[in-house]
Amino acid sequence: MTGSPLPQRTYSERDAVDFVIVGSGAAGGVMAKELATAGFDVVVLEQGPWRQSSDFTHDELAIEQRHDWLNIALEPYQSFRTTAAEPPRRNTGLALRYMRGVGGSTVHFAANYWRFRPSDFKERSLLGAVQGGSLADWPITYDELEPYYTKVDWEIGVSGAPGPSDPPRSLPYPMPPLPIKSSGVLLDRAASKLGLHTQAAPFAINSQPRDGRPGCMSCGRCTNYGCEFGAKSSTLVTVIPKAVATGRCEVRTECTVSRVETDAKGRATGVVYWDSEGREQRQRARATILAANGAETTRLLLMSTSAQFPHGLANSSGNVGRNLMFNCYSSTFGRFEHPLNEYKGAVAGRIIHDFYEHDPKRGFYGGGGIDARFPYNPIGFALSILPKDVPSWGSGYKRALREYYAHSVRFTGHLTSLPQAGNSITLDADHKDARGRPSLCLTYEDHADDRKTQHWFQTKTHELMEAAGANKIWDLPIAPSDGSVQLLGTARMGNDPRESVVDRYHRAHDVPNLFVCDGSSLVTSGRGNPTMTIQALAFRAADHIRRFAGAHAI
Amino acid sequence: MTHRELLHRRTFLADLARIAGAGLVAFDLQLITACAGDDTARHTADGRLTAAEARTLRAFAAQILPSDNDGPGANEAAAVEFIDRAFGMPFFADTVPVVRDGLANLDARANTGNSRQTFASIPSTEQIAIMRQIETTPFFATARTLVVMGTFADPSYGGNRGSVGSSLLGIEHRPSFTAPFGWYDGQTTPHVTSGAA
Repeated sequence: MTGSPLPQRTYSERDAVDFVIVGSGAAGGVMAKELATAGFDVVVLEQGPWRQSSDFTHDELAIEQRHDWLNIALEPYQSFRTTAAEPPRRNTGLALRYMRGVGGSTVHFAANYWRFRPSDFKERSLLGAVQGGSLADWPITYDELEPYYTKVDWEIGVSGAPGPSDPPRSLPYPMPPLPIKSSGVLLDRAASKLGLHTQAAPFAINSQPRDGRPGCMSCGRCTNYGCEFGAKSSTLVTVIPKAVATGRCEVRTECTVSRVETDAKGRATGVVYWDSEGREQRQRARATILAANGAETTRLLLMSTSAQFPHGLANSSGNVGRNLMFNCYSSTFGRFEHPLNEYKGAVAGRIIHDFYEHDPKRGFYGGGGIDARFPYNPIGFALSILPKDVPSWGSGYKRALREYYAHSVRFTGHLTSLPQAGNSITLDADHKDARGRPSLCLTYEDHADDRKTQHWFQTKTHELMEAAGANKIWDLPIAPSDGSVQLLGTARMGNDPRESVVDRYHRAHDVPNLFVCDGSSLVTSGRGNPTMTIQALAFRAADHIRRFAGAHAI
Repeated sequence: MTHRELLHRRTFLADLARIAGAGLVAFDLQLITACAGDDTARHTADGRLTAAEARTLRAFAAQILPSDNDGPGANEAAAVEFIDRAFGMPFFADTVPVVRDGLANLDARANTGNSRQTFASIPSTEQIAIMRQIETTPFFATARTLVVMGTFADPSYGGNRGSVGSSLLGIEHRPSFTAPFGWYDGQTTPHVTSGAA
């Protein structure tokens, strides 16, 4: 599984390629394909191995308990504090987590592909300032991004059907939605009773054979697992093979980047990394693109200090690592008389977007979408999902396992996180990761409005569960955030170099040939499920970078 | 150093705490979280279960997921055999001393007076009474977790023998499925592409 399973051109480290891209995930994969197709020489450096569909299994112990694929398996120590005034302590909670490997987190994600809405890009103008928040308008609009959302639909492969309050789209979905599940029928029933609207959930999963890949086989192991059939539209099976097939892209695996190097003129000259044998190497490039995710991009920029950039590269604004957003959640569980068998099929069949928009009548910042899902496998379910009034061992426990597993569902609000300058990722000088780089220190405290949003939505999911006819309902306790799989906002886009890290084309304000495009680019959090937007940004960024390179304007 | 070696450096107890967040679910085992910071419990596993330990653990497992009128339990699923193998795996190294000490403690509690009784030899009601006394200890949480893992883990680890665990949950073992998946979607025909209401 190491090295490339595909024949690919290789480049010498000594020769400067056109672009070196750090990260092969949601954004890196897209940019590699777009730039290589445009005729540029591209080297992609990926921390993890190159797994293939045939490497994927349903081994819950390895994937969900041991976390074999995740960064946290190799970074045993991350620190956490709620404010910078506290001493950091060991983060024994969720921590900052992402998938290591070609395709990045698109390999193991659940593939919910929600577009942001026009309002998401201008909340600061629409709502005004929120006390304690660093809400800002994006430097781009929905209309500017829309063609690229459509490109994601068609080039990555998204299935779905339009909903009653969707933002405008220039082309229909390329594939019909995945089949409805029992959870979707129950959400339909509940919504109808409460006067709300459901719609088919859009997924980056083939609902029918397309683009040389099969339709979904409904095996049920999307969340946390790789798709054995190649039906999930990860960059591993979509854009990366196409990038490599151009003959102008090398994906170099098990390479951990430690810094971006710059010359006396303040231009990036490439990156320094450890290869799969642990040897230090350099890849020179005319331009450097960071697409390493909101945590790793932050670490790289902060590690890339020099006399000219004493606080880290591209950090004259001081915003590298700041304005971190996770997306909040709140959930209600319900058990029903008949089996739902939610362990089959893609994660969710139906969603409710009636509460997507901020509503001043609620009295706090926030909005969200609701879906119905039960993404639990046997061990995780048996250890942590049953309601608190059920015995945790003995005959009663065993009976409950039988009575709940196939009969239960979770209604979840996927919610905003207000950007706050103090929520950040910094380097922990006292601890190291597996390669000896400084560990990640998380400073994070949910805004009071985030908590209010969570509670407001939990009231809604509870009402929906009652309306759906559950015979047992239990709310998931709302706890303070201590980590996430969604790592957003740490190198935010903006027009003002004093307030943002990259410009509207993802070019670093401080370094003309350094581009950053991944979750870190997001200015606001949307309502969970950010990958669709990250990939639309990547297609758009690649379009502009290609134009700049053609005009010798990098 | 290879990635595999690095992987094994992780401590299992810390990892249990991390399960808390996975899937956005609050994890139940607060005590394990507390225990995760205690590095004194870390030392190398020196082997598999002794026959006496396996006997005690079987009695414990039979109380966690009993074999009863409702069907087979943890022992039929070979949970103890799973744990025996797990003790040889670096990932579980941190659990070995916790479980080993706890099993000895169960036997000590069973051996009141000079009865030479073990936890496995006393009546079920007395076993339950002892387990209630230690329900909030790191040993109980760790051993319960391992019994559950052994009941449901992939058979390649020796768990879920005879599909006892998955049958208990009502899981059909098939590599793929077709709609309808459950009772409720089975009632609606045909499948609609745009939402209700």
